[in-house]
Parts: sequence; structure tokens; C-alpha cells
Amino acid sequence: MHLPWTLKYKPKTLSEVIGNEKAKEKILQWIKEWSRGVPEKRALLIYGPPGVGKTVAVEALANDLNMELVQSNASDYRTAEAIQRFAGRSSQYGTLFGRKRLILFDEIDGITGSADRGGLREITKVIRRARTPIILIANDPYDPRFSTLRKFCELVEFKKPTMTQIIKLLTRICSLEGIRAERDALKVIAERAEGDVRSAINDLQALAQGKDKLTFEDVAWLGRRDRKEVIFNVLRRILYSRSLTGALRAANEADVDPDMLLEWIYENIPYHVKNPKELAAVMEMLALADVYRGRATASQDWSLMRYYIDFMTAGVSASWSKKSPGWTPFKFPSRIMTMSKSKEEREMLREIGLRIGRRCHISADKAAKDVIPFLKVIFQNNPEMKDGLARWFGLNEDMVKFLSGEK
Amino acid sequence: MWTEKYRPRSLDEMVDQEEIVNRLKSFVKARNVPHCIFAGPPGTGKTTAALCLAHDLYGPGYQEHLMELNASDERGINVVRETVKTFARTRSIGDVPFKILILDEADNMTSDAQQALRRTMERYTETARFILIANYSGRIIEPIQSRCAPFRFTYLPEEHIRKRIEYIAENEGVVLLEDGLKAIIELGGGDLRRTINILQTAASTGKPVDAETVYSVVGKANPKDVREMMITALNGDFINARNKLRELLLKYGLAGSDILGQIHSEVFRLNIPERWKVKIIEIIGETDYRLLQGSNEEIQLSALLAKFVEAGEEIRKGG
Repeated sequence: MHLPWTLKYKPKTLSEVIGNEKAKEKILQWIKEWSRGVPEKRALLIYGPPGVGKTVAVEALANDLNMELVQSNASDYRTAEAIQRFAGRSSQYGTLFGRKRLILFDEIDGITGSADRGGLREITKVIRRARTPIILIANDPYDPRFSTLRKFCELVEFKKPTMTQIIKLLTRICSLEGIRAERDALKVIAERAEGDVRSAINDLQALAQGKDKLTFEDVAWLGRRDRKEVIFNVLRRILYSRSLTGALRAANEADVDPDMLLEWIYENIPYHVKNPKELAAVMEMLALADVYRGRATASQDWSLMRYYIDFMTAGVSASWSKKSPGWTPFKFPSRIMTMSKSKEEREMLREIGLRIGRRCHISADKAAKDVIPFLKVIFQNNPEMKDGLARWFGLNEDMVKFLSGEK
Repeated sequence: MWTEKYRPRSLDEMVDQEEIVNRLKSFVKARNVPHCIFAGPPGTGKTTAALCLAHDLYGPGYQEHLMELNASDERGINVVRETVKTFARTRSIGDVPFKILILDEADNMTSDAQQALRRTMERYTETARFILIANYSGRIIEPIQSRCAPFRFTYLPEEHIRKRIEYIAENEGVVLLEDGLKAIIELGGGDLRRTINILQTAASTGKPVDAETVYSVVGKANPKDVREMMITALNGDFINARNKLRELLLKYGLAGSDILGQIHSEVFRLNIPERWKVKIIEIIGETDYRLLQGSNEEIQLSALLAKFVEAGEEIRKGG
């Protein structure tokens, strides 16, 4: 049901991968050389920042050429032995039925520590003897650890796609999802992503899934906020941490605004905590956190803020069994979204309230609460009374429309 | 608006709060008014009494000698102070040497603001008299209370409300049936302003006003969302209950304490075991206290809804 959009809209062919035309061309040229025999450089090292489409490009390439992709990432090949198991044999032969193989070492930056030295050496060994194409992916190819490895590789750089390219992609996804999106809204998302396409798509899903339109107002508040992977990560660590100190540390290390963090936790909890008893306990922890925030603010004694953090992290974490209901996307705090959206409406209520208040000797709040609900019914029932009252209160056309439910 | 059209203009026209009216009349006679606190439930004539007093004191042009402020409209005590300063700087012309300042919803002011108000009251006593209007005089700080003459407004007798409603209906040519009248009085809850608003809204349908019309217009005006929200939570759907809560807070602009008040009055009507009602009341009370301390409305009320979810589950298990 909840397919991540990064998966749902993953490019199926290389030409669909956004941007990086030169890099894609270079990859194609290199792979073509294999049809004429083993090329000089038996491996390709694709590098670039996270989320720009490196892995996705390789997968699309394998799909285009109907090759079998033998894929693994760093955790699977920490030792020489593991690498032999994974790539040793498959780098020597094609598949039984003549389908060609493509071997992919993803995230080689993840190979660290002394035990892995052997790992990198082993990869180099595999490359030197390879009879099938091998692709490696790294964020930083100039890491000294890769100096030997690099000599045997053709280097291909993936750059951050431009804003325009990202906006174009987001627009396409929106139209496929049936969402009318304002260009300005998509621009904010693209801007924040800073070239990270994956994070842009994740953002879009979190903000727009299930809606039929996405406006600038829906996303405007994002601008100032913390970067989302950071928040997603912290959230996961708080909700699913196995120890209280882990949950606490997640918040402290992340340098995320605590008020914002509370909103995120508050928004997402009911989608993760399904057991009623646990839900009540977790929500009570958030309520307690909020109480301490209030106490700290009222007394101006900011040392009380530590309890605020304790309850929202350790308190939440300790109050449930952490049985995940399956892949559940994190949602943006819609409280903040709806607040900005209904701001206009509340301003209207207040304006009308003030005019009623002047006539009826009550406050705008009280008018909004006690009189406007009745006025709405009257305005819908009785045009004559409506006109008279509108004139008497001095309501403008927009206000009358609002009360009549035409707006 | 009929509430305004039929608001008494002078103390003589006020039929209720007899004792209070008599004391106010004696102020008029003496051409002197002390600082006052008018305290009591909504729709019992506090504002009307203050306006009538001013009317009788100054005559037809009374608006020039009167200023109405609302503590919840005016941002902070500074606005009050500045307004009062300009207003009270000049003396009234005529035989009454002071102006009258009505400060409505005074019990909504923080105690700091009330302290500042007290100083302002003292400073301008010669040229301005304050009438503070509040639902609860207990929320007005001691030093102000001791400087004011207290007036306690009580609920109007049902008989008086009935007469007033009948009078307005006749004057407006509304066909008011007996069961309609009863429903209006019941739903008005002793608050005359609300009662008249219900009458006018029911009359706006253009049909004879019977109980059904009354319930239907009040139902439209006051959505049963609070009850629905509670039941949604009891049925275990926290996410939708929370969405309803958000709607009440943001779309209808209800205050957290109002929602809590409605939850409180609904609890006894819920179809759940009696002992659970009491348990829930305890949690509501705690939530109420937290809101008074300045906690976040939505988060606290959501936590309360989560408790409803838990209660619902326990009840289904036969707990």
C-alpha cells in the first residue's frame, strides 16, 4: 500500500535517469567495449554525492541490456573471503543461459577499518582478473584507501542535477499521482533537496501523498527547518531505539530544534504505535514533555527543559514494545501545515468577530464562538435577514460569502 | 441582531437582577459611581447593566463618556493603559466629573496585567471609573477586588426568560409553538443572549418554530463533532479522532478549554460502564489543569483522546 515513491518511480531505463548526460554516455561507451572483448579498464568507478542516481543508473543499465545484476553493498563484503564468495566466481563467467552478468559493488566508502583492508585488496584482485564488467560506487573516490583500486578503474562522475531538472521530475510524479502542484511549491522542495533527488522525492511523498493539490503554503514553512534525512533518522532512532540512552542521544546529537522534534514525534506516533495501551502511554509522555516545556517557559528556568527532552525521547521509547507495523513513511507535522493553511480562515473569523463584537459588546473570540455559528445558519436560511445583518454589522462581500458558505 | 434590538436601554427597562439594578439606580441618583466588578455567568445582563448605568448617568449622548474595552481583544495591558490615558485625560462636561470604562472579560487577564491595571485604576480614579466584567470574580486579584464594589449576577429565572422570548417572538411576528419555546429555553442553558440567538436562528427558517426546527438549527450551528470525536476515539480510531480535534481547534476556532468542557458534559451521556466515566473525569480534570498552566491544547487533548482509545479497548475486553 505504502510503496515509497523513490521505488515506485525508479527509472527503468538509463535515459530516464535525470541529468548527468555525459556520465551516462561514458557508461554506455564503456559497457559497449565489453562486447568487443575485455577492455583496458575492467571496472568503472562511479562517484558523486548521495541521492543523485548512481545506483539507480546502474540498475537501469542492467535492465536496458538485459544483464543479470549481481549486487551487494559494503556490509556484505567486509572480508576477502566474503568478496570471493560474492564476486569471485561470477566475475569469471556469464550465466548458464548466456545472459551476461554485471557486478556492482555499492557504497564502497562503507568499507572501513583494518579488517577491510583485505577487502579492498580483494576487490582489486577481482577486478584485475574480471571477465565480466564490474562497477563500483563511491561518494569520495579520492579517499587514499582507494588509491590502488583507482588505477584499475575508469572514473565517472555523477553531479547534482539542476533545480530545473528536479522540478521537472517532481512535476511528472505529481501528474502521475493526480496531484495538482504549484510550481512554487515544487521549487521549495527542490531547493531544499540541494541536488539530492532521493530526498526531494521523499519530501514530495511526505507532503503530498493522498492530496489532490499541493500549494506553496503547504511547503513554505519547510524553508527554515532542519534537513529531513536528519529528522527521519533521529525519529527512527527515538521511536525504535533499544535503549533509553540511545533515544536520548539521538535527540542530543542531532541538533534539531526540540519544538520541531516534538511535532514530528507527535505527528508520527499513531502510525507506528498501534496497541491502545501503549499509544496512551506514549501520548502521555509527549503530554508530560509539553507540560515541562510550559513550566520551563513560565518560570524562565531553562534547566527544566531537560525533562522536556527526556520525556519526548526516552519516555516515548520506553513506553512501547517497538513492534513495527511494517514500512511506514514518516509524515510531516501536519499541525504546522494546517495551521498555515487555516490561517486565512482564522483571520477571516477574527475580522468578522471584531465587527460583531463592536455591535454586540463582546470580544471577537466570543463572537466567533457564540454568534458566528448562528449567523452562518441564518445567512443560509434567510436572504432578507442576511442582507439586513450584513449591513448592520458592516460586513464586506468576502465576509458575507464566507458566512454563507460560498467560500 | 435581536440580542441588540431587545437589549434594555435604561435601568428602568431591566426586569432582572433587581437588587443590583436598585443599587445602580442609587449611584445614578448620587451622581457617583465607584469602581465595580460585575461577575456572573454569560447572558445574565452584566454588559447590559453597565451600558444602562452609563445611559442613565449621562443621558442620550452617553457614548461620549463611555469606553468599552475587551481584555481578550486588546493586546496586553499596554494597550489598555494607553487607551485609558487618552480617554481619561479630559474631564467629562456636565455634572458627572468622570467617564466610565467597561473592561469586559477582565478575568482573562494575567495577574501581571491585572497589577498594572490596578495602578492605572488608581492613577485615574478622579476622571475614570472602571467596571470590570468577569465570569468569575475569583480570577480577579485581591487588590483590585478590594477597590471595587462587587456585584454578583445570577442566572435569570426561567419564567423571565420565557416571557422575554415570548415577547420578542410576538413583536417579530414569529409563530412560536410551545415545544419550540421549551427547546429554545433548554438549549439556551440560562444564557439569555444565546437563547435569543437560538430564537432568531430558528425564526430565520421562515417556518413556525417547533422543537424540531430548534434542534435542527442548533445542531447545524453547534456541530456534534465533540461527541463524534470521543466516540471515534473509543472505537479505537485515534488518527481520525485526532483529525476531528484538529478541525475543532483550527476550523471552528474553538478553545481547548471549551472542547474540554463539552467533553466533560458528554462523558456522563456516553454508553460506557459507570466506573469508567469517573476514571475519565479524573483524566479530564488533569488535562484541564494542564491547559490552565499554559500547556499546548492539541497535544494535551490528543493525549486525552489516546486515553479514550485505551478505555474503549478495555471496555470491549470486558474490563
